[in-house]
Amino acid sequence: MRVSRVRLINFANFSDVDVETGESIVIVGENKVGKSNFIRGLQLILDPGLSERDRQLGLEHFWDGLGEDKVGATIEVSVDLTDFTNDPRLMAHLNDCVIDPGPPMVARLTYRFQPKAGLGRAPESLKDYEYVIFGGNDPEMRIGGALRRMLPIDVQVALRDAEKDLASWRNSPLRPLIEDLAASLDDDAREEIQNQVDQAQRELAGHEEVVATAERISERLIAIAGGQHAVPVSLGLAPTRVDALLRSLRLLIDNGVRGVGDASLGTANLIFLALKSLELDRLVSEGERDHTFFVVEEPEAHLHPHVQRLVYRYFLGTRAEDEDEAPPLTTILTTHSPHIASVTPIRSIVLLRHNATDGKTVAVSTANTPFTQRDEDDLQRYIDVTRGEILFSRGVILVEGDAERFIIPAFADALGIPFDILGITVCSVGGTNFTPYVKLLGPKGLNIPHVILTDRDPVNGKPPLAHRRLINLLNEVDDEYGYDDLDIDEVLKYAAEFGYFVNESTLESDLFAAGMTEAMKSVIEQELPLRQVTRDALQEWVDDPDQVDEDRLLKLIERIGKGRFAQALAPSVSEDVCPAYIRSALEHIRDAVA
Amino acid sequence: MPSRNVGTAYLAQAAELAGNPGQLAAYNSQGHCVVLAGPGSGKTKTLVLKLARILAEDVEAPRGVACITYSQECARELARRIENLGLQQAPNLFIGTVHGFCLRHLLMPYGRLAGLPISFPLSVATQRVSDRLLKQTGDALFGQNHPYKVIDLGRHRRSVLNRNSVAWRSEEELAAWAEAYEAALRDEGLIDYDDMVVFGQRLIAEHDWVLPLVQAKFPVLAVDEYQDLGVALHRIVKRLAFDGGVRLFAVGDADQSIYGFTGADGALLMELAARRDIEPVQLQLNYRSGAGIVTASEMALGEARGYQASDPARQTTIEFVLRPGGMADQAAHAVAQIIPAALASKPGRTLGDIAILYKDYRAGDIVAEAVATGGLDHIRVDTAAPYRKVALTSWVEDCAAWCAGGWRVGRPQLRGLLDRYRAFHRASLDDSQAKREEQELTALLWELRADQQPAREFVASLRNGVVDHLLAAELALADQKEQLDRMTAALAEGGALASLDITSLGGRDGSPDHLNLLTLHSAKGCEYDVVIMVGLDLGNLPWRNETPEKLRESRRLFYVGLTRARDEVHMLYSGFVDGRYGPMRFGRSPFLDELEARMRAAGI
Repeated sequence: MRVSRVRLINFANFSDVDVETGESIVIVGENKVGKSNFIRGLQLILDPGLSERDRQLGLEHFWDGLGEDKVGATIEVSVDLTDFTNDPRLMAHLNDCVIDPGPPMVARLTYRFQPKAGLGRAPESLKDYEYVIFGGNDPEMRIGGALRRMLPIDVQVALRDAEKDLASWRNSPLRPLIEDLAASLDDDAREEIQNQVDQAQRELAGHEEVVATAERISERLIAIAGGQHAVPVSLGLAPTRVDALLRSLRLLIDNGVRGVGDASLGTANLIFLALKSLELDRLVSEGERDHTFFVVEEPEAHLHPHVQRLVYRYFLGTRAEDEDEAPPLTTILTTHSPHIASVTPIRSIVLLRHNATDGKTVAVSTANTPFTQRDEDDLQRYIDVTRGEILFSRGVILVEGDAERFIIPAFADALGIPFDILGITVCSVGGTNFTPYVKLLGPKGLNIPHVILTDRDPVNGKPPLAHRRLINLLNEVDDEYGYDDLDIDEVLKYAAEFGYFVNESTLESDLFAAGMTEAMKSVIEQELPLRQVTRDALQEWVDDPDQVDEDRLLKLIERIGKGRFAQALAPSVSEDVCPAYIRSALEHIRDAVA
Repeated sequence: MPSRNVGTAYLAQAAELAGNPGQLAAYNSQGHCVVLAGPGSGKTKTLVLKLARILAEDVEAPRGVACITYSQECARELARRIENLGLQQAPNLFIGTVHGFCLRHLLMPYGRLAGLPISFPLSVATQRVSDRLLKQTGDALFGQNHPYKVIDLGRHRRSVLNRNSVAWRSEEELAAWAEAYEAALRDEGLIDYDDMVVFGQRLIAEHDWVLPLVQAKFPVLAVDEYQDLGVALHRIVKRLAFDGGVRLFAVGDADQSIYGFTGADGALLMELAARRDIEPVQLQLNYRSGAGIVTASEMALGEARGYQASDPARQTTIEFVLRPGGMADQAAHAVAQIIPAALASKPGRTLGDIAILYKDYRAGDIVAEAVATGGLDHIRVDTAAPYRKVALTSWVEDCAAWCAGGWRVGRPQLRGLLDRYRAFHRASLDDSQAKREEQELTALLWELRADQQPAREFVASLRNGVVDHLLAAELALADQKEQLDRMTAALAEGGALASLDITSLGGRDGSPDHLNLLTLHSAKGCEYDVVIMVGLDLGNLPWRNETPEKLRESRRLFYVGLTRARDEVHMLYSGFVDGRYGPMRFGRSPFLDELEARMRAAGI
């Protein structure tokens, strides 16, 4: 079973969030954007540990954008579940909750905090409010605690005190494991342990020095209280009953030299998660639960980035590989770390973003973006190596290669468009296959404003390569019209409306034509040992740019490497020499993110 | 731990099945099983033990078992028997009528999604509204005093499920009336009882996605009194069992099929039993009746069934009694002679062990008058009874039983009363609300405990305290409210039950001090030491000129009457029936002639 969709209305940071989700869920977002509130919303429906009072919300739980209109509004959180039809027990639980017979069959659970039914007037305060939790589309189909106990959400909050939890017997995730151990010992084993402990006890207590110390204490007792009142004392180990002994077992690290209390925060955290995960396995295998929604908030806390990535990879389902069936577990993680977002399966990402204009958090996901498997693989690799920066961008400039990656930010600076402040990222797709990125950033994906810069790539006697490239993109993003039969000029016109901009030839030729002749010449001369003939040719092109031999110029630049060349050229960039298509793209993205 | 609500009481009782191979086979069955159970063969015991075993061993909450039975009374009896096994708290066990099953477990969860042409939330027409619409639409189509009968309309709706078929159109007037009536119901946003089953069947037949959902919730479906349930349930059962993978455990006796006029058909049970993928089990040992009665009933049926009495030595009495003065004379004779003799003939026998059975409520009126004249207390179960038994009235009666002293011994159990109260709510309540309502009800019942109190006051307090509030909130209970209102009216000053006290209200079933008066139909499933059947004259049972099919059903009705008896059967006749223009002397019932001849031939 998995969560397929979550809706949050008027709750906390969320005005009206409706997001589809994948196999597991990784909630990605900056601090304070509402990651924990997203989880809190799920808890309102699924957490068996919340009391009635916890579910009776306060004014502070209403979306702040409601302003004065909080009383009167209704808070609603719903979660859609799917892929449960292979388990009749889950089907039995969710019998009254089905909203779509499918396939795939979908069930919905909803929490609603609303003015009391039959109030007969407008609510005056939250005293007039009640909550209901119901299944399907019928608010009368109430969901009770039985379902929550069998399909619970289990939240490990961020920055918990793992060390303290491990130390207290009551809360320790070690406890059920020890209790299992105690129950599994047969009488013979118990007797053997008991005998060994008794013997050790006798040896220790009978030791000369130990006896002497005990006697000293006894004597002093008698001296203080007299022989009548003083109780005889001895020294020994306590406790000695097997069960009590087992309870006093502690986790030790470093070959048993140190206790967990001495471990670093990170290690304690890791141990805690390992124990918790073992406990979940046990609960499921003993039939105490039919499914667990296991939430770990920011498991990266106190962990080295490499370990962070390993922990995430573990919880995100590499576990299922050695089993025939996936465990009855839905993993939900939150993070504000790009390190972690970058190893998240792309389908699992739920991205929370603050929309400053409306004062609300919006959520997007790529759970149902129409990626092909190749798209998905490409993007996954890209996001991994770039450490997920695209996910945290508010605007993206998609470019063909490294040259643009160096030169575009320089032009942005020159034009007074501050990328860092605006949250704009330049993303090189390493070629001209923009499609997966457009899907990722488009409205069916993360819905992040983006522009494309691409070369015209003229071909003798035929339409330039950009023609087909743009038609494919336009067909991808706009299925209302067919673009196949349009000529290059029409295609360019429509493409610009979508933010796809094309130059006259290639980046370097256009820079040359735009007036960077002198600077380009000096970079080439600096980077390459040139024969005199070549120097002369360069000088001629600078003197009369119309005379330039583009092929030869590009060959020279390629000898340096386009990326290296652009990097060296960047300091010489100024507003005057900005090619028109770059200026258009920069202004377009600036307006889009503003 | 998974909560197992099932004790092990059933294991002790199951050990008693060892001597009965049929019961044991049914108890041990693993797949689909049909139990063909003769009269007195311990069918309910077998069913109850099997249910207990399935709950303990085969299914685990949230999955469960649905047990469908013919009437509210049968459901109540099953629930009581199951409670005695310590199973009353199994929330994953549904026991109810086919209507209850279709409403709660098919239409409510899936009806909306399937787009059934009825309005949600579902609202059930009361008997009064339903009667009004039937009359309006009938009069509009055919004029007042038209010859078509509501009972035939019901049969037609229940038995012809395909509205596009020739069979539906073949009774053109009924079809037109049914369609007009249903349209009128829909106009008011209502469904009636027959709609529940018809739409339940449609849902199951037309929507494949429903099957795995039902199978998930109820991997086992038990059906009691299969012969009395019509073709719609039969289709539901077949679809769930053979397409949906639901395991079926059906119990019934085609010989006791007496509801043909409602569309029931004993042949459906035999069709099931003949399937290769079903294990048929026959229960042939009769624990109820003495050998003489077992033999005589088989003769009356005219079929060899091979039934055996479990105690062949027991003495039985079978009497044919001519009372020349008609029905009143028969009743008077029963009161003056048969009953006193029967009471005297066995120590400890009470009025509650004796029943007078008759064909219809008109005969019931005559018998009731004779009984009252004779100074005997009685309980009467027929259509002229002050109120019809529905889940709500049964619950009120059981609350009375608890308050009247049942609380001392836990019979009925408070938990069961609370659970049933909870089940009246259309929606499943959330825990805190349910807890609140249960506390409220418990407090009220505790307060109403009194060994002596007029039933009128008890019912009024119960209604004021919780029930009326419930009824106001749950519109789907409107039809049940109607029966509760009739109960209240009967208990009021001057009503038929005005003098009833709380103990009698609670003990309306099986009270030792009350003679039982029942129609033959209502007697099904009951048993008495002494059965007195009156009105066994041609023109009454059977009517004259019955079709062969009708005649077979009348014979089965006679058979049902005979097989209610443990020790004595008294068959009373006058040789004539009262007609519109005076007595019509057609002679006594041919069933008596046949039976007497066969008994004589066999030397009994």
